[in-house]
Amino acid sequence: MDGIVKMKEPKNLSPRIKWLRNFYFEGVKRTWNNEYNCYSDGKPWDFLFDELTYYIVPETIPFYQTYTSSSLQSAEHINMPDEFWQLSLKERRATFIKEAIVNHVPVEIIPNDLLCGARFNMLTSHCLTKAEAKDRDHLVYGKNGSRKQEVDYYYYGFGNDGATSGHLIPDYQKIIDHGFVKVFSDLENRYQSMTPNEQNSSSGEQIKAMMIAATMPRDLAKKYAVKCEEEALKMIDPLRKAELLQMKANMEIVPWKKAENFYQAIQSLWITHMLVMADENYPGPGVSFGRLDQYLYPYYIKSKAEGMTDELVKDILGCFWFHCNTAYDAQIRVGNNGITAGFGQLFNLSGCNAQGEDLTNELTYILLDVIDDLSPILEPKPNVRIHKNTPDKLMDRVVEMIASSQGAPFLLNFDERSIAGMIREAKEAKCDDLINFANVADYASVGCLENTMVGNDRSGTVDDNLYLYKAVELALNNGKDLLPKKNDLTGQKLPIKQHGPKTGELEELNTFDKFYNAVKIQTGFIIKKSVEIYELSERIRAKYGNTIYLSTLVNGCMEKALDVTEGGAELSFVTIEGVTYATTVDSILAIKYLVYDRKEYSLNEVKNALVNNWEGYEIMQAIAKNRAPKYGRDDFEADAIAKDYMEFFANETWKYKTKSTHRQFRPGMLSWNYWASAGFVLPASPDGRKQGQFFSNAICPSNGADIFGPTANSNSVGVALGGKSENGDFLEYRNCLPNGASHTITFNSSLLRNPDHLNKFKAFLKGYIHNGGTALQINILDSNMLRDAQAHPDEYKHLLVRVTGYNAYFVTVGRELQNEIIARESHQQY
Amino acid sequence: MNILNIQRMSTEDGPGLRTTVFFKGCPLKCTWCHNPESILPSIQKEWFQVRCIGCHICIVNCPAQALSVTENGIDSDMTKCKLCLKCVDGCPAGAMQQIGKIISVEMLFNEIIKDKAYFNGSGGVTLSGGEVMAQTTEAVKLCQKLKAHGISIALDTSGYTQYANFETLLPYVDLLLYDLKVDDALDHQRLCGVDNAIIKSNLIRLSQESVKIWIRTPIIPNATDDVKNIKAIATFLSEYSIRFERWELCAFNNLCIDKYARLGQSWEFEKTPLVTKDTMALLLSTAQAIVSKPEVVSFTGLTQLEEEVKCTKQ
Repeated sequence: MDGIVKMKEPKNLSPRIKWLRNFYFEGVKRTWNNEYNCYSDGKPWDFLFDELTYYIVPETIPFYQTYTSSSLQSAEHINMPDEFWQLSLKERRATFIKEAIVNHVPVEIIPNDLLCGARFNMLTSHCLTKAEAKDRDHLVYGKNGSRKQEVDYYYYGFGNDGATSGHLIPDYQKIIDHGFVKVFSDLENRYQSMTPNEQNSSSGEQIKAMMIAATMPRDLAKKYAVKCEEEALKMIDPLRKAELLQMKANMEIVPWKKAENFYQAIQSLWITHMLVMADENYPGPGVSFGRLDQYLYPYYIKSKAEGMTDELVKDILGCFWFHCNTAYDAQIRVGNNGITAGFGQLFNLSGCNAQGEDLTNELTYILLDVIDDLSPILEPKPNVRIHKNTPDKLMDRVVEMIASSQGAPFLLNFDERSIAGMIREAKEAKCDDLINFANVADYASVGCLENTMVGNDRSGTVDDNLYLYKAVELALNNGKDLLPKKNDLTGQKLPIKQHGPKTGELEELNTFDKFYNAVKIQTGFIIKKSVEIYELSERIRAKYGNTIYLSTLVNGCMEKALDVTEGGAELSFVTIEGVTYATTVDSILAIKYLVYDRKEYSLNEVKNALVNNWEGYEIMQAIAKNRAPKYGRDDFEADAIAKDYMEFFANETWKYKTKSTHRQFRPGMLSWNYWASAGFVLPASPDGRKQGQFFSNAICPSNGADIFGPTANSNSVGVALGGKSENGDFLEYRNCLPNGASHTITFNSSLLRNPDHLNKFKAFLKGYIHNGGTALQINILDSNMLRDAQAHPDEYKHLLVRVTGYNAYFVTVGRELQNEIIARESHQQY
Repeated sequence: MNILNIQRMSTEDGPGLRTTVFFKGCPLKCTWCHNPESILPSIQKEWFQVRCIGCHICIVNCPAQALSVTENGIDSDMTKCKLCLKCVDGCPAGAMQQIGKIISVEMLFNEIIKDKAYFNGSGGVTLSGGEVMAQTTEAVKLCQKLKAHGISIALDTSGYTQYANFETLLPYVDLLLYDLKVDDALDHQRLCGVDNAIIKSNLIRLSQESVKIWIRTPIIPNATDDVKNIKAIATFLSEYSIRFERWELCAFNNLCIDKYARLGQSWEFEKTPLVTKDTMALLLSTAQAIVSKPEVVSFTGLTQLEEEVKCTKQ
């Protein structure tokens, strides 16, 4: 590496934070790590690894068996007393997890660290009786069990779904402001107010279990207090001794009681948060923090007044950053691949209030400094909320940080469009008591960019990932697959099947409207199918995978006396994330152009071209690729179809609720990395794409389609979401995706080469507020640098790239995706 | 109107983000021209080898039998070609392309207005070329519509036109990007194909008006890049107290090599290396030493950045 483009380096770090950051990046060489600790109840039918959580990561399917057996093999047995087995399953789960984290997971203090709470990754017993285990086995592994159904569903090219952990913003503010003592007493009151019948029902069991879980942080904090004291006694260095004693003092207060200052607020937040990951047995998948600069601000102001220096603030936050990253240690020996790339402990910065006024404060800038100083680093992930009244000072800082990194070290969320989507949700789901103009500005983002409310909302934002292109495939073969598929796991051929309704032989689809209608009917069908398949894992989780501790942090669970996995949250949604959107729209556009407008080819010829993967049909393919209209060019007619299809997708999605837990389905567009793998599962597409080539990503135009540059691209995205009109959902903005939509644009670094150009980039962002989508990920890449990184991965270990709103270390993503990212380094002329 | 191209989100044609409209047809014929396809006012065509899939539909489609396959690809015999553009229409891959298109003021306006949100504050439209002043009547109609929608207009011109044309356009123009390429009249005639007296006199008169002016001088090796030329331009600006907000020395680049090849023309700058940073610095200081506001003189262009990249790569 000859410094082609300077890689972002950390800077301004205190010796403490420098040490912690270096320590973290030692990785496997580290003397300490946060690898999974495994705990079994010792029953022969016990299991720890829960595959339901991994259905949405289909590349892990081949490893389920290994994960299951290896976690059991390495498990420590915790022998629970006989009385334990008299308890309800909910109470057993809460008790076991508490026992494991408080009394078995080692309590350790990291050198130089200012925060307590080190190890938390664990896999724990499901505490099932033999009968329960048998029932669950049947539900998972039976002939029509979730495993087989999910695997077939995936290999037939519908997508993937599964009841997944995380992806919500717990009510952390409640704990910081009031402590678990408040949660506990509220639960006690709730229990006391129950009739004896209720107390003995599942409702009573839930509340009792939550009371057990609510004391878990208190008891763990006690352990840490003792540990700090021990270490302090041994410590010779007087400065470190004082720090350890301060940590002990903190642990004697939070998170059981309310935080008294900024330091305690962060300590309270960390312990509370890490226990969510422990409770879910899953490190950090979209367990997000919400508006960190807002709810921590009063503590910051108070502590500043009491003399806290900015250096100390940054040190405390630096320690917090360190700990968030240790989530990745879970499978540290497996390496940084696959599932470990997708964590998203997200937090928002800035944004507006109900009146549209800006809420940027001093802490916003401090948090940005911390990100800037520590970058490149993966967690926690920032998401900066931008809106019409965002001050220039913040915009300048944001643009400056984008310019100095390889890509934006954060996502940008756009308030007006996002809020419009949330208001639409309130209308569609009839929940305007919970989401309305007075509180909607308090929304925050989960995982990458998925918009939800805070503390009372589980929107299941990556639970259902639907490959929309499957609908086109089905429409082109009267409801059947176009080609047989294959189960990669077993090598078994999956025969062509009549999945969907018969929407007509191709000869019958003699007008564009008839063809488009067939695609819509098949789209309705695949949505319904995804809902049915999702139900399988949802009901199993509700029955056997409760997360009692997490439920104490989600409003609605106590009131309804339901676990969050049972639909306890006040706002309970499952988001269908539409994948392959632009390819699907472009395919519809290409067929319109080839078959119905130019009348050069019959639908049957197009079908044959796809069946033959375009081989022998190169001229038709060239026309489809180069002459047919495409979404992403700010072309009124093309975007009108994009918008119409989007609305159809959204409207169909709102029709469904989960049967077992009554969670309402809602629409979104986030493709994680599926757009890459879907390219192999699904056949060639009428837009000219061959099988094996990637699909379009989230709401982005197809790769290379955006020939008129970033503004045309962004305008199309805004139009697809709903555009603007006199009857907007919020102001003039319309948005049919409450979840929001992932939009990534790659810019060449020359766009940011001098102050003049930084202002031009700022103008782009300001325009995006008006015309664009809900969220934007900016990549600043240089193809030379990326090719060099491919050749010399060791020298680019820390090079971050952003794909679909999640960050990954470039050298850890597959070669094909690497090439794809290089191909996307597109806007050369700027 | 006959335009070449609409470039959205342009960052190089004036302040802020701009939509730049390149007009087709130019009275000058600068030897180094970066947009050789903009010189002729008529529609042309070009063939992109990389896009061609070798289907030969263009050859079949041509009623004049003007197309043939040679070892260099598809050859157009322009003595036979009637520019019916059936080759362009039929090309599945977009390899055979039309250069220039006739577009109504209304349609052009509708394209420009799409990016209004990104023009906020400083940005807007830049009318460039070719030479806009060669289509003044149409340009005025466009400007009237743009102004009615509050869009800021920059005019990028060679200055080679009757002053009356400026008078009709000036009420709408917020910024003039005005080229002063070569000071010496004979040299200008030799290098740009026309006399520069009218260019200078127009600028003197424009300087009396209120429109903002940015002067631009292309720095072309062995053509405009000698100290003498820059000194002379600076002296002219100074002597006539030309009022300008910026004077940009735009470094030569060779990104247009392919364009000449596609037009079947040779380009004398094909092998010319990029201007060195030292040369640019020398010319900059030369200019700055003479004009009254040296701080507004700068040098721009890809060269600066490209050069750094090249250096570090080696």
